[in-house]
Amino acid sequence: MMYVPQAFISMYLPAIYAGLIVGFIATMAIAIKREELHILILTDLVGLAMIFVVSAVGTDLAEALILPGLVVELAETLAISEILITREMRKIEQDPRANLKTSSSMFPQAFSLDMEIMTTAPNFIALVLIGYGIFLTGFTGGAVAGGGIVLYALSKKARGLPVLILDGVAGVSGIAWCLWIIGFLLFFVTPQYWLLALFLAACGLLLKVASKVGLIGLLMREDIDKE
Amino acid sequence: MVIEPFTVFFYFGIFLAIIGSIATAWGPGVNDPIVRTFNTEVASIGVCLVLLCYNHVLALLTLLATTVIISLILFRAIIRLEEMGADV
Repeated sequence: MMYVPQAFISMYLPAIYAGLIVGFIATMAIAIKREELHILILTDLVGLAMIFVVSAVGTDLAEALILPGLVVELAETLAISEILITREMRKIEQDPRANLKTSSSMFPQAFSLDMEIMTTAPNFIALVLIGYGIFLTGFTGGAVAGGGIVLYALSKKARGLPVLILDGVAGVSGIAWCLWIIGFLLFFVTPQYWLLALFLAACGLLLKVASKVGLIGLLMREDIDKE
Repeated sequence: MVIEPFTVFFYFGIFLAIIGSIATAWGPGVNDPIVRTFNTEVASIGVCLVLLCYNHVLALLTLLATTVIISLILFRAIIRLEEMGADV
């Protein structure tokens, strides 16, 4: 009672009911629909209902719970959309009458990023963003550093720095999880080393978020670079 | 009883979220997946208002960022599937 403002307590029930209503609508629509793509879009709505219920808590705990929920939802959407595309490709390949176009692009016309700023500035800006993100650590730092990686990946044609190969993203992700879990464990086993545990968890989260955002940049580059 | 301004925004956010989710589920033209994706944005703006009332700044920023990235991913999936000639 001490930590939650009086106004937030009166907002608790409406927020919970709103979350339940949104979740009910979304799950009903999922039950009715047959196409997988529509179900994937409707899954977003279930995520919004989750945010309603969690945010009704009204303290910092809510904020701490919303962040991983959103990131997990993002990763899940990315993975399922890839699975849908791959499965549809296989289905069409097995059908001899269908003609599968080998190149498919994000944009209807050939889309070339021929702005001058894409060839001169990005190395420096990406370096600054990644450095600043590492300095920030944690979730925000991961987002900032990931923005730098996206910028660099989108402007791969730029000269100067050697081209980063982000194929090892999976390995980095595993190391990040290990750091995070070790940090979490230290919190409970040896609470006097809380600062070390905090930094382990923050660095793990930084690697995790940055690699994930960078992966999205890589996917988009695959689509854009095709002439 | 004085009605606080943020209470108004809170209930308006709830209203927008419910209207947006109904529009996403059964709204006009939702058999086109792009229309359905756009309708999701209405509901997410409602959730943004609610988070703003709760002073959840970090959660609000993350929600905005992930909404943009999720809609990019969904558009990519929709466009690729339509190019391949799948029935979406």
